[in-house]
Amino acid sequence: MKIYYELVLAFLLISLTFAFIMFYFKNPEIQNLPYYTFRTLLRITLTYFISLAFGLVFGILAGTNKTASKILVPIFDIAQSVPILGYFPAAVLFLIALFHGSEIGLELAAIFLLFTSMEWAIFFGVVGAIKNIPSNVVEAAKVFGLKGFAYIKHVIIPAIIPALIVASTLAWGDGWFFMIASEYISYGGKTYALPGLGSYLAKAAYEYGDLNLALALLALITFIVIVINHFTWHKLTEKASVLGYKPIFKFPSPEKIVSKRMHFHLSKFYFRHNLLPSIRIEKYTRVQKLITLALIVVLISSFLFFFYQTIPSLETIKQAILIPEIYKLPIYILLTLVRLTLAFLISLAIALVMGFLAAENKIFARIFFPLYDIGQSVPILALFPIVFVYLSKFFGGYFGLELTAIIVLVADMIWYMFLNIVGALKSMPRETMEVAKLFGLKGIKKIKHIVLPSIIPAIVTGSILSWATGWNTIIFAEYMPYEKEVLSLPGLGSFLDRVAYEQGNTILLIFLLLIISSIVIFMEKFIWKKLIEKCEKYESIEV
Amino acid sequence: MLLEVKDVTKSFFSEGKRILALKDISFSVDEDEFLAIVGPSGCGKSTILRIIAGLETPDKGQVLFHGQPVLSPTQKITMIFQQFGLLPWKTVLENVELPLEIFGVEEKERRKIALSFIKKVGLSGFENSYPHELSGGMKQRVGIARALALQPEILLMDEPFSNLDALTAEILREEILEIWRDKNNVTNTFIMVTHLIEEAVYMADRVIVFSPRPGRIIGDIKINLPRPRKEYQRHPEFFKACDKIRGLIMKSTELTNKLMLR
Repeated sequence: MKIYYELVLAFLLISLTFAFIMFYFKNPEIQNLPYYTFRTLLRITLTYFISLAFGLVFGILAGTNKTASKILVPIFDIAQSVPILGYFPAAVLFLIALFHGSEIGLELAAIFLLFTSMEWAIFFGVVGAIKNIPSNVVEAAKVFGLKGFAYIKHVIIPAIIPALIVASTLAWGDGWFFMIASEYISYGGKTYALPGLGSYLAKAAYEYGDLNLALALLALITFIVIVINHFTWHKLTEKASVLGYKPIFKFPSPEKIVSKRMHFHLSKFYFRHNLLPSIRIEKYTRVQKLITLALIVVLISSFLFFFYQTIPSLETIKQAILIPEIYKLPIYILLTLVRLTLAFLISLAIALVMGFLAAENKIFARIFFPLYDIGQSVPILALFPIVFVYLSKFFGGYFGLELTAIIVLVADMIWYMFLNIVGALKSMPRETMEVAKLFGLKGIKKIKHIVLPSIIPAIVTGSILSWATGWNTIIFAEYMPYEKEVLSLPGLGSFLDRVAYEQGNTILLIFLLLIISSIVIFMEKFIWKKLIEKCEKYESIEV
Repeated sequence: MLLEVKDVTKSFFSEGKRILALKDISFSVDEDEFLAIVGPSGCGKSTILRIIAGLETPDKGQVLFHGQPVLSPTQKITMIFQQFGLLPWKTVLENVELPLEIFGVEEKERRKIALSFIKKVGLSGFENSYPHELSGGMKQRVGIARALALQPEILLMDEPFSNLDALTAEILREEILEIWRDKNNVTNTFIMVTHLIEEAVYMADRVIVFSPRPGRIIGDIKINLPRPRKEYQRHPEFFKACDKIRGLIMKSTELTNKLMLR
């Protein structure tokens, strides 16, 4: 019965919020608010179901068939290593050309962007959960003759449901994260706005300059996200654990964690680092590498063929890439990396302090966790226009944009670090803490010998996640359609956007995408993997 | 009397409910004694060990060591753990040295002490290995070396062999007994918690038996078998002692179950 009261209450509250916003603000588009909400919800829901179907089909295929796994996993791995927003200009170019500039092309491009953000978590979640089915269950199923569809129905589906719920939560959140980027697009000197909450928020900030409205919309979006999460994913997570599913990952016991909601958020994070990297940072065989390479070549050539009706000659490629600006590329890369590193270090420092405080003192935990709860429900990219409009008043357009980029990056990265660190602190084995107490380790000595070493793996995984999301944010942040003009920060992200939206130079766009994925893969291989190996040197503490 | 546990009562809070773990526990331990505490799982036997170590504080009652109350961990009472409690990011040598450093032993001196105790437990050559490179038995040897290096008066052991395979456990039991018998060793009072009755009877001078939760003492049995007991493992007296303890535990468990059913 409780859930019905909750539903009625939530419905009333949402209606009241809508009524308030619609009566209070005198904006010419305000009567479209319910319609915009409907469109955004429809877009995200539709894309979620597409991703779910796609992820289930290919995930089960890759999880049960070794040959399929050899081909699919490396492809998905490479595809997901490109920052999602990097695909977007390419998709916009392609789909607008395909539909001769009609809105359908834009709508499909938006759905494509959301799809690329949602798909990976579901696919890797399904594959990982299947790989995690204990071998005795698999053997028992074989002994009792479960095959084909019966095997999928009685073994695979029940086994992957908890992972699927967690993956869906992640995918759903990612969808909201990219909402504003997918709805408000500048292309060929014009700005296109798909009907939706994200584009309305952007318009409110940039075109109408109505910051109060933008803030109200941000609050409304956050409220909607929280309510939907509460009635769908929270309930499903609870149900899944009631059904007696064991978490598929090492997980601190619920009583160690402050609340059910914390448990919910933590399960997402544990999923992201314990499951995803373990599959992703896998070693590929030579055959897999060859297959992947061949597929990439085929894909790029067919893409180019579509635009040029002929495979471009080496000369054409050379001409397209060697534009005068290309010589600035190293500086652009450097600038973008500096921005990301700066934001990363700031988030790490704040998250460490917050993590220590929250783990040591319950009062801080009571302040930080609700803050986190709300903070992580705000679609971070939607924060961008608001922060920018405020800051540009004080610091001017360019410097304001630079500051906004860093602030939004920090707001985006910090939660990954914070929850990771808190999760690790909370799941420290009791014996380790007792050893510290028994041998009189206190203060700095305790942090140095006990606490810091035991959370280093969590810091590494937190860093990987925050860099991944950081790349998306930076591509969005460096290029900003604002009041009829475009503001841009010199950097790799803005270069990519300009090449796509202003110059329509497909070959160079692909070249830049390859560069970004090389940087991402390079960092994964030479920084994160090395650090993970170092952590593995002293492995996990047996729990 | 070296150690005295007086009327200790302890409860925990779990999901807002108060759970009584120990009720009015009193016993004393003499110097040179090897005491075992036996009881079914969840009877609070590990908790009493932690209270003696100063890791937990009792709700009521106190623990007296040389007549002084134990309020926090001291160098004189130390412990080895069920899961070994090694720091995975430190080598064997660093693990043994860390407590010495904390208790203020000079660098040269602590290196010397650590190396001698590593040698004593037979781990020479593994000083620079990390715990995950060692087998379970070797890990527990590091735990023993780390505890003994502090030269405590009392060594507490929390199910020290339950995470080892049967053969390794047997070997380590003999090693522990050897250390206990060694008169040159400062550490000569051992308190061990276990759920294996045979293990307790084999090793201890005295076995204290706990009831199921809330833990109360339902037996305090002297084991008078001669040492070394290797030859007495099949002696009728050995089985008689085991049966007596088993009988006590069974009786109290049945009683508890009946009460719970009602």
